Amino acid sequence: MIRVRDIRKSFGSIAAVDGVTFDVHRGEIFGLLGPNGAGKSTAIATCTGQLAPDSGSIEIGEAGSPRAARARALIGLAPQQIALYEELTARENLVFLARVHGIPEPVRRADELLDMVGLLPRARDRVATFSGGMQRRLNLAAALVHNPTAIFLDEPTAGVDPQSRTAILDVVQRLANEGRAVIYTTHYMEEAQRICSRVAIMDRGRVLAIGTVAELIAEHGGDSVVTVDSLAGEHRVRTREPLREIERALAEGGATAVRIEQPDLEMVFLALTGRRLRD
Amino acid sequence: MRAAVFLALKDLRLLMRDRAAAFFTFVFPLAIALFFGYVFSGTTSEPLRVAAFVEQSSPAATMLIKALDEDGGFKLTVTDARAAGEQLVRRGEAVGLLIVPATYAEGIDGVFSGGGAKLGLVVDPSRRAEGAMLVGKIHEVAFRTVFATVGDPVQFARVLDRMEESLKASDLSFTDRLAIRTAMSRARTMSTKGADGSAATQSQSLADWKPVSVDIAELSMRPGVPANSFAISFMQGIAWALFGAVLSFGSGIAEERQRGTLVRLLVSPMSPNQILFGKALACFVTCLATEWMLVFAGMFLFRVEVSHWPLMVAVTLVTAFGFSGIMMLLAAGFRTQGGTQGAGRAVLLVLAMIGGGTVPLVFMPPFLRVASNLSPFKWAVMAAEGATWRSWGMSEMLLPLAVLAAIGVFGLTVGTALVRRSI
Repeated sequence: MIRVRDIRKSFGSIAAVDGVTFDVHRGEIFGLLGPNGAGKSTAIATCTGQLAPDSGSIEIGEAGSPRAARARALIGLAPQQIALYEELTARENLVFLARVHGIPEPVRRADELLDMVGLLPRARDRVATFSGGMQRRLNLAAALVHNPTAIFLDEPTAGVDPQSRTAILDVVQRLANEGRAVIYTTHYMEEAQRICSRVAIMDRGRVLAIGTVAELIAEHGGDSVVTVDSLAGEHRVRTREPLREIERALAEGGATAVRIEQPDLEMVFLALTGRRLRD
Repeated sequence: MRAAVFLALKDLRLLMRDRAAAFFTFVFPLAIALFFGYVFSGTTSEPLRVAAFVEQSSPAATMLIKALDEDGGFKLTVTDARAAGEQLVRRGEAVGLLIVPATYAEGIDGVFSGGGAKLGLVVDPSRRAEGAMLVGKIHEVAFRTVFATVGDPVQFARVLDRMEESLKASDLSFTDRLAIRTAMSRARTMSTKGADGSAATQSQSLADWKPVSVDIAELSMRPGVPANSFAISFMQGIAWALFGAVLSFGSGIAEERQRGTLVRLLVSPMSPNQILFGKALACFVTCLATEWMLVFAGMFLFRVEVSHWPLMVAVTLVTAFGFSGIMMLLAAGFRTQGGTQGAGRAVLLVLAMIGGGTVPLVFMPPFLRVASNLSPFKWAVMAAEGATWRSWGMSEMLLPLAVLAAIGVFGLTVGTALVRRSI
């Protein structure tokens, strides 16, 4: 659905995106992970047609370049910044966007989306009166008014409360289940591990690794750490087969507690870049 | 096209939701128009400003003028010629012109012999309420002067002498003449020795007696001369209405950029040109709405007259177009809302001030009048005045309309190109 080939985009001497290539298929949630300045937002801006790449190509389904009007009709974007009119009500925001997209029955469509993100009871309230989490949910709904098939979500859960986070993740999962291609950027490793089918780790404009979460961890995450507490003290073992190590410790006897520290995406990132994701 | 219209409607809704922006776009220009209108007309609680012209000097006329001058309700300007007095009324510097005719003294003398004095009053038709008040006050003062005349035994003797002459010339019967002579003899005695009748009886008998009548005429306002100060101030108000609209919408693109909604619009099927068209359309509609609001308010509240309706329509359309172009240039110049608003205020304020927003074009000193040519506000105000009190024809209107249209074409073309490059 989304085909990105060797795109490059520089601002002056700084290469914001440097030879990025990936595909995102229908029904897939594709995570773009990386710290601030990694090039995620520039990659999204280029993939959604806001910026023209210096080189490389992007195709949205059969519609081709995202800068073509036909392709833009397929793209839904929830920018990192809350992009809403605060003086308008939640419904007015969505109705306006639905009209811009030429959606028939815009009010009905707006109410469907408000219901989907749990904001229908607040449909007539101005956005300025919403909490940060509610604004994030509406920001997501605004990306969906025209029923897009290629959805770009740039840090959609940044700074939200746990309730809104859960609601947003549920909606994102539902979008993928409906067969849409979703590109999802985030700082939060646990979110990526929870919902992303595949993940690309980005740093300094380049994709360092790409694959399923399990593949990345297996390839770059390193060994699990098994800690066995006994009367003799604490014993830590690095291993690729932690269950076997636990079995062995239990068979030897004397273990009072056993802990496993499995590698995660944070460790993958550390292994690939030499620094932590939120440094 | 439909999407651009929806964008414009959204912007208009946002404008109305923003109380400060709505105030400066719709209420402030009206307030300015009213403020300057009242300042220039002098219609405050101060004494009524009246011009007076005495056709022929006489003791009675002098007494009337002196009484009016000493009365706290008037601020009197005596002119040497009737035309000069009328000019004061036309300029709104006087509510009316009191004309004391050459026959006034004769009328006062014949006040008890069937004649009576007549005064003329020429009033500004747009200030009828003040004119009516003025008539009442003139009656009051004139009445007092007649009584002063009657109260003076010498003057009253002259009045009675005139009555005696009239009686001789009349063809009344002997008995009627005798009755009248008896009454006159009694009156002559009363004026020298004092009345013995009750005050109440005198007042009652005088209640319906009008020794002085005032003939009122409305001044025909000449084309090329404003009917009143509001004819000028409401056209001035247009400058401030345009100022508010341009400033509100000029920062609209920067605002969309800052709040991130521009990204949404750019990702939508709308082209950048459609987005900018929507912005310009919202500005155009607002300029048009505020212009007509001021024209209608001036018409219905202060009798500001539109001399040429088709030209007025053309003026408002072309002015709105021109200032939409200025809005686009402003939007192109700055990336942030603060920058646009700050610079916009600084530049537009100066242009509005030298363009007739504060000092009306008609009162400008020559050097300022030349400098005002640089201000698009001048051409807008002048065109609006042309379609109202200046009573211009198409040939006179061509220059301001052409200037405004050229500003619109330039602003929309260059501004759109520059904004497109920045988004």
